[in-house]
Amino acid sequence: MSVLKSVHDWVQNTPPSLLLQRNEAWFIPTMQSIHIAAIGVVLACVLMMTLRVLGVCGADRSVLQTQERFGPWLTGALWLLLATGLLIILCEPRALVTFSFWLKMALVAIGALVAWLFRRSVRAHAESWDATLVRRRPVKAMAVIALVIWVAIIFLGRFIAYDQIWGRLSPSAVAGASQ
Amino acid sequence: MSLTPLLTALQNSGVAVAIRNSLYYFPMLEAIHVIALGLVFGTIMIVDLRMLGIAGTQRSYVRISSDVLRWTWGAFGLAVLTGALMFTTNARVYVDNTFFRIKFALMALAGLNMLVFQLTLARTAEEWGEAGKAPPRARIAATLSLLLWLAVIFMGRSVGFTTTGQAAKLSAPPPNVDFNSFLESSSSSSAPPASSAQP
Repeated sequence: MSVLKSVHDWVQNTPPSLLLQRNEAWFIPTMQSIHIAAIGVVLACVLMMTLRVLGVCGADRSVLQTQERFGPWLTGALWLLLATGLLIILCEPRALVTFSFWLKMALVAIGALVAWLFRRSVRAHAESWDATLVRRRPVKAMAVIALVIWVAIIFLGRFIAYDQIWGRLSPSAVAGASQ
Repeated sequence: MSLTPLLTALQNSGVAVAIRNSLYYFPMLEAIHVIALGLVFGTIMIVDLRMLGIAGTQRSYVRISSDVLRWTWGAFGLAVLTGALMFTTNARVYVDNTFFRIKFALMALAGLNMLVFQLTLARTAEEWGEAGKAPPRARIAATLSLLLWLAVIFMGRSVGFTTTGQAAKLSAPPPNVDFNSFLESSSSSSAPPASSAQP
């Protein structure tokens, strides 16, 4: 816990952070707006790929064609999220001492891994994805789970500002109680 | 005509009080609102990029819009619902907020842009929908739509920063059910499933 706090304190006193803090009034809302727009791109891309696997949307396109349409936009949006996320943390490092943030990071890693595995599998087995895989229940379940992971990530992202809802699980609550 | 009595009644309503008294409802509503508006923006972007000839050009405009726009409307409904519930908690402050007012003006413009497009160019989409790019007027509508919705997101985020200050957060009442009591009850006594599994 104290490690997180010291990292937080160190980041907060670095020159780039101090520079951004002086411009916080417009910088944070602007970065968060770009972050939210990129979240929209991620969510729409994951939704479209999930719905294709479920057979609800884009039935005229193969699974590979669907992945090739939305995969690169998903990747691009994730890089944009990383960049804006880092800048937000640099300006306002309080997220580093929240439970929501670290749980969110774990889920982002899982979500990105699932998307990467999906891309790899679709490229290697394009024909069996269309012929058999999309009809299998575990595959459909996995597509839904991937979407749920991104939805959970958005919840956790918003909860960073309300980390007290986790009670003692929140490192800042623990730090506050010990002081 | 003054809206004040109506707004006061709204923020004194049972729903508004319940949301204000909970530590969880408002963050939950915010998160669902972000998911809903993200889907609105993301799905509209799919259609706009198709019109601009930037992405999805192998499919016709008609196919894409019929695939995607019903999700846009579903998400928009969810954004309206969660937005309305958040609005009730502090109605008089929101109505006076500049960012809030600009946001709604921009949404009206985005709606007008969509309405004009749907009543004119979209009616002839069968004719131009297969082409790589939509006609120039449709491309203007697509660009306007993207810019307006981005601005709506920025205004919406700014509403949050200008209506709920640090003081409002600090004065938030304690939750009725919190994770501390949950953690204590599960750690002080042995977990029921584990004890019942023992012979």
